[in-house]
Order: sequence, then structure tokens, then C-alpha cells
Amino acid sequence: MKKTVMFMLLVMLAVFVGAAMAEDTITVMVPPVSGTYLDDIDVWAAEFMEANPDVKIEVIKTSWEDHNGKLQTMAAAGEAPDIAEVSYSSIGSYVELGVGIEIDKYLDAERLADYDQNALDYMSIEGNVYGLPLYITIQAIGGNKEMLEAAGADIASIQANGWSLDEFMEVIKNGTNENTFGFVFANAGVTASDFLNIFGVSAGMTNAFNDELKYTYTSDNMLKLLEAVEAMTKSGYMPNYGVEAGKRMVMCQTGQAMIFGKAMPLFELNFKRNNAALDANDGTAVADSIKADYAFLPVPTMEGMKESCFGSVDGLIALRNHNTTDEHLKNVVAFLDYLCSGDRAAVVDAPLLLEPVCKSGREAYPKYEETGLDEGNVAAAAREISLVVAPPAGVTAEQSANAKLLMDETIVPKFQALLAGEITAQDAFDAIKAAALEVFDESDCVFGAL
Amino acid sequence: MSKNKVTGSFRRRFKITSDDRWGWLFIAAALLVFIIFTLYPVFSAVRTSFLKYKPFGSQFIGWKNYTDTFKNALFFKAVKNTLVYTVVVVPLSLLISFSIAIMILPFKKGTQSVFKAIYYLPGIASGVALSVVWLWIYDSSPSGLFNQVLAFFHIPPQNWLSSSKTSMLSLMLMALLSGQGGNIIIYIAAMMGIDNSLFEAAELDGAGFFKKIYYVVFPLCKPTTLFLLVTGVIGSFQVFQNAFMMTGGGPDNSTTMIGLLIYKNAFEYSKFGLACAQAILLAIVISAISLLQFKLMGVDVEY
Repeated sequence: MKKTVMFMLLVMLAVFVGAAMAEDTITVMVPPVSGTYLDDIDVWAAEFMEANPDVKIEVIKTSWEDHNGKLQTMAAAGEAPDIAEVSYSSIGSYVELGVGIEIDKYLDAERLADYDQNALDYMSIEGNVYGLPLYITIQAIGGNKEMLEAAGADIASIQANGWSLDEFMEVIKNGTNENTFGFVFANAGVTASDFLNIFGVSAGMTNAFNDELKYTYTSDNMLKLLEAVEAMTKSGYMPNYGVEAGKRMVMCQTGQAMIFGKAMPLFELNFKRNNAALDANDGTAVADSIKADYAFLPVPTMEGMKESCFGSVDGLIALRNHNTTDEHLKNVVAFLDYLCSGDRAAVVDAPLLLEPVCKSGREAYPKYEETGLDEGNVAAAAREISLVVAPPAGVTAEQSANAKLLMDETIVPKFQALLAGEITAQDAFDAIKAAALEVFDESDCVFGAL
Repeated sequence: MSKNKVTGSFRRRFKITSDDRWGWLFIAAALLVFIIFTLYPVFSAVRTSFLKYKPFGSQFIGWKNYTDTFKNALFFKAVKNTLVYTVVVVPLSLLISFSIAIMILPFKKGTQSVFKAIYYLPGIASGVALSVVWLWIYDSSPSGLFNQVLAFFHIPPQNWLSSSKTSMLSLMLMALLSGQGGNIIIYIAAMMGIDNSLFEAAELDGAGFFKKIYYVVFPLCKPTTLFLLVTGVIGSFQVFQNAFMMTGGGPDNSTTMIGLLIYKNAFEYSKFGLACAQAILLAIVISAISLLQFKLMGVDVEY
């Protein structure tokens, strides 16, 4: 009897262990990319497991606040999830750490062709694709439509054709009065880098490196940008104090600012919700806010520069961990592709008012697209996306890491000091040039105009 | 013969008795925790400081992380910022907590407890939540709390955290106004241990309030002061959260502390080797300063 029980237990154990060994477990770590993403991904995981019974998917759900720190720590310990959400700018650090995976080796060329090349370029280092894009976000400025019109802005023309820095300055001058700033930009702490990135494109600096892979922030264009920022901060048309990121849109909604940055197309929904809350008078509206219609606007372009828009790509990458094998990676990349394409991409992008960056996603998009949006804003967003310039191909992980280090340790700090009126544009530019020359050879930097 | 005698005595001295076994068993858990969570990470950090760290195949690079550290201007700026912060915050912090403890001491036990609880409250609150409150207090707009106080005295609003002239001062003020609870409780405990007869003797000698503090309280609290000074300096050198949450090290790196620099190197730039080298250097500096403090102040201190 004892022997029989023992035998049965052993058989059960063998079956259990065998089943567990046959199952390939994929871990995915994601923050709430859109409002319902953390619920949606459970459904998509279940769908994928049903189609692939030998695969088990475990989802690690994080918050935006702790996602990057947690991911970086796990990756450094060799315990990275198989798939994780990242912004394109951090891919270099994972590749440099040796945990990035060239997914193009595990994905059919046909499937890879589903994704827009422009977006794939963001997910690539030295020509190797390390992840798949979910969307291209465009970051520019936005404002109160009524106030803008009162200040003499031809919104339709600006949205359709862009505008010059002089026109912008004239409008913010007209929009400034004792209760309202013509322009406000979140500039407190590290958000200063947003100002630099978003207005950098207006000065012709679409990336830290040009097509010849030379560092561009040492060019005269940078000086021109810094001088323009200096002029803006001294003009009195924008606050001369640090503005926290969370306050910028509130200032516009309460009538304390006419134009604000950074702004994205989806802020139209915030304005609409606030207007509805004001109508309903249910206490959920922003305190002291006024009814306002939102206008998404391009960043002004400096004289002689080609118009462009600052874009950033977020997506999912595959990462190496202690369990990584070739067979496992095939499943990982298949699930990665599943999450970034088709209906899944459309569901993620629709609430962000962003068109998917893959053909299959665009085909599914009409089913989920938000309706009732301002046509001018929709057209302006589409136009801005078309103006986004992807990073040049061939930037190495080391170049990317050095550019990030320069940005964090020198450019942003000097930019903060410039915004606080503590140094001049020339001082900031000299410091940036000196720091860049410590990292890059002189021949690897652009001097003079771009 | 004499060799055998020595060996026998050695054996007797180091013979493990059953009591010893129980002793080792009781401290085993604590020892294990210490080895796993303190000793091993320290040795691992030393080892990593000589590597270009990668989770799958690190590369030995000798002293490069250390030489890179000494070539980095930001490292020295961070050291300077940390020193300035420590030199201002630690002594003032001791002075404030000592003064408050003196003021609380004459109260009855119940009233003392109320004050202790009030002062200790920020210590149990989440540091992140506290930082958010301080961000609101330091709001640079005219509607910011501190700026409204300044406006009452017709002083123009200040760019508290966004100007390098006031950013460090803001962090110091935050530390001084919200971090005294623990020190106050320790000082009160030390003061309550002073025998009443000493105060009575001082009074008979004609000592007033300040003389009693100077000749009785202060000398008898010296071991406590030394303890708080050493732990305060260590904590101050490791300060990270306030700078990380409030300023991110800016503007113009004016509040980049050494702890924040180490964190950024490790978790933002994945330069774990460099971060470990800087952490080891920080540990050496802290040890040297602590030893110096014991040497200078600990001469007549008995424990």
C-alpha cells in the first residue's frame, strides 16, 4: 500500500515537473501606458497563451514613478523581465549594460516591415533593432484658443503652416497682462530638459547627433537657442520663477497663462473634461478654472531653420536575463510583436490621440479612435508627427550614453542657471562646449552653424 | 614540556563549552543578517569598484573607476556641496535639538510626551510625502507659502529651489525644521539621567540657568553629543532623498550631493563600477572624519 502511494506521488511529481519544464514563462513589466492598459494586457496575455499553450505569461505591473528605477535595478542584477516598456532614450543604457537583445534576429522581416521605419529607427542602436514602438509622442505647446485669438494669433494658419519666433514673441507680448502670462513652460528641476528638447528643434537641433554622427549641441544653433531662451525669460512675458510640471496646464486653465508647454494633443481631453465639470458644477473642476477651448500649436521656428517637431518614441524592448535561451527568445519576440501591433497598438494609442506607428495598428485604429475632437488640433497633430526627425542611424551605445551624461551633468544644469537669470547664454554655451570637448574629440563635434 | 603547557592553556582558554554553543546560536540569526546584508555587499562593492560591471560578463579595469572619479569635476563639486551641507546642518541641528530638549525637560512627563510626539512626528512620515509638502512650501510663484510670508514683510518672492543662490539654503532649512525629533528624544533621555544633586549643588554655588547648562548639563551630555555628532555627520554625508526629491541636484548642480551622484551613476547611467568606487571613497572619508571626531571629542568621554 505504502509503495503504491509512494509510486503515485512520484508519478504526479514527475508530471508536474515535466509540465512546468515544458512551459516557457515570459515575464512582462509595464506601467499604465494608457488608462486601461494594465487591465488590457491581462486580456492580451490570455489571448496569446490560448494561441500558444506552451507559453505562460506573467505580467509585472508597475507605476510610472517606480518603473524605470525598478527595471534598471532588475536589469543590473541579471533579473530583467523578458519584455519591458521603455522610452527610446534609455535603450542605449540597456545595450551598454549588455542586456539588450537584437530582436530583428528573431522576428520575420515581414512582421518587422509592419512597423514604420521612422519609429523603428528610434528603437535601434547602430542599425540593430532592440525593441518595437508603441507610439511616437509629439511634444510642443498649447494654449487657450479664445485668449490666443484676442492676442492676434491666426490659429488655423499657425496650425497649418507653423510660425516664426518673432510672430510667437508678438503674440505672447499681446497676451501678457497683469493677471496673465503670455507663455509659461514647466522649467523647475529636471523638466528644464523638456524646454531644451522641444525648443531645440526650432533652432534646427533635431537630435544630439547629425547624420555624420557629430555632436550638434556645440554648434552655433545651440547658442542661438540659448539666446532666444534668455530673451524670452527676460521679456516678462513668462514667469521668472521655477514652474513645476504639474502647474503649467493649471495656469492655462485658470487664465494665468495663455500658452503653455510642454503640451501634447491629448490635453484637449483634459480641457474638455474640465469644461464639462464646470458645467456640471460638481466640484471636480480645477480650482478657479475658467471654461476654455484648447489649441495644440507647433513650436515656433527660428529664422533660417527648417520647421520640425520634437518627438519621442515609447515602446517595448526584449531584455536578457538568466533564463534567456534562443528558443525562449523566439516566444518572447513573438509576444512582443503581438503587444505592439494590430488592435493592441490601436487600443493603446487611441486615448493618447496618437495614430499607431504600424500598418496593422492603423487598420484597427478607426474602431477605437476618439471622436468629437477639434479638427484643427487633429490636423496639427498629424502635421507635427510628419515633421518629427528620427535619430540618425549608426549612433553607438557609447555615444548615446555620453550624450545623456552631457545632457544631465552639464546642459540641463547650465540651462537651469540660465532660466534663473544667473548666467548668460554665452556662459552656458561656453560651459557646454568645454564639457563636450572633454567627452568627444573636436572632430566629432559640430562648430559653426548646422 | 613547556610547549605542552602553553597548548593546554590555549585549549582551556578557547574551549567551546555548551554555554558558548548556545551563545553562538542566539547571535547566529543576527550574524547571518549582518553577513548577508552588510558584510557581503561591502565586499561586493569593493570588488565591483574594479570592474566595468555588466550582469553577464564584467570586465576587470583596475583602478580606472577611481582615476575617473578624481578626474570628474562634478565629483568634487558634489563633495564640496556635501561638506557645506554637513558643516551647516549638523552643528545647527545639535544646537536646535539641545535647546528644545532643555525647554521640554522642566515639563511633567505627560506634557513632555506630547512635545516629544510632536517633534518626532515628521520622523515617522514618509520622506516622499514630506518632500511634496516642502515643494508646496517652496513654490516659487508669489502664491507659494514662504513667498507669501515674505510678501507680508514686503520682501520680493524668491526662486527657492530654482536659483543656485537659495537652493542649498532651502534644503538646509528643510532638514533643520523637520529632522530633530530623534535627537530631541535622545537628548531628553540623557538629561533625565543627570542626578538632581548636581543641580542642587550648582544652585548652592550660585549658578543660574545658563551656568547650570554650561557646567552641568553640557559636560554630562557630552557622550550623547558625540554620538549624535558622529551619526549626524554620517547621515549628512549620505544625504540623498531631499536633494533627489526637491531639486534633482540642480540648479547648475548646486545641490548635487555625493549620495545623489552615486545614485545617478548607478541607476541612471548604469555605471555601477564607478558608483561603487565613489561609495568606497565616501565610506573612507566618513570613517576618517568619525575617527577624528572620536579622537578630538572622545578624550574624556566614557561609555
